[in-house]
Amino acid sequence: MVDILFVVLATFAICGGLGMLLFAQPIYSAMSLIVCLVALGGIFALLSAPFLFMVQIILYAGAIITLLLFIIMFLNIRDDELPKEPNKIKTIAIGAILLVPFNILVFQAFSTLPQKPMHILGEGFGGIQSFGIELFRGWLVPFELISILILVALVGSVVYARKDKSNG
Amino acid sequence: MQERTRVMAESLLSYVTLAMILFSIGFLGVISRKNVFIVYMSIELMLNAVSLIFVALGRYYETIEPQVIAMLIIAIAAAEAAVFLSMIVVLYRKKGSLDSDIFKVLAQKEFHG
Repeated sequence: MVDILFVVLATFAICGGLGMLLFAQPIYSAMSLIVCLVALGGIFALLSAPFLFMVQIILYAGAIITLLLFIIMFLNIRDDELPKEPNKIKTIAIGAILLVPFNILVFQAFSTLPQKPMHILGEGFGGIQSFGIELFRGWLVPFELISILILVALVGSVVYARKDKSNG
Repeated sequence: MQERTRVMAESLLSYVTLAMILFSIGFLGVISRKNVFIVYMSIELMLNAVSLIFVALGRYYETIEPQVIAMLIIAIAAAEAAVFLSMIVVLYRKKGSLDSDIFKVLAQKEFHG
């Protein structure tokens, strides 16, 4: 049962990624990326990370990609304004061939680890309580630094997007 | 290799393979597409593939710290989204195109010629 789930979710994730890579229109690509990210959220749930599954769907698919979709619709790009990509397929094929040795290397590195079954763990692993305890005990400083980073990003994006009076 | 009768969803290697495929797709998107939106989405996909490897290894060693790291990756992606998208809006207003090749000049002043 869990095997079927994994295969279906992985197929959705890979098809979403390929769709994102191959569609010419950015809005179709963003939709494919949403499919891919939601499927990845399901895979996080299979890896006994229910809180991360929730965060992935709410934050990634719900906020970040929605912001991206909003910007794509806001710019309202016509077909003839899209950049010309005459040798897209050729570059993808050459890049895919060049990436094969890298993937084989990573795969061999991971296959030296001893195999052990990874069942879905029950309550208490990856839930909101154990996650929060770990976050606020071991990772408090990175957490605060990231809140400062998000504040800086907020200010920076407002400064970027403001109309520049002096330059016209 | 030990016994091979295990289900796919419980072996580390299947998750690692999925993450590698997604990372490769993201990398191909960065090197082969010219639309900046697609480049941005490919970067997001690569970040997700890396956090998938983190979470799979965390399940393998039965520790929860990688999930915290994946959460921090999501937070960084949110900050990146804000800055990147506002930058795309500004550059599109100035240059009127989404081709990543014309973004080589990131200076404030226009060149006019």
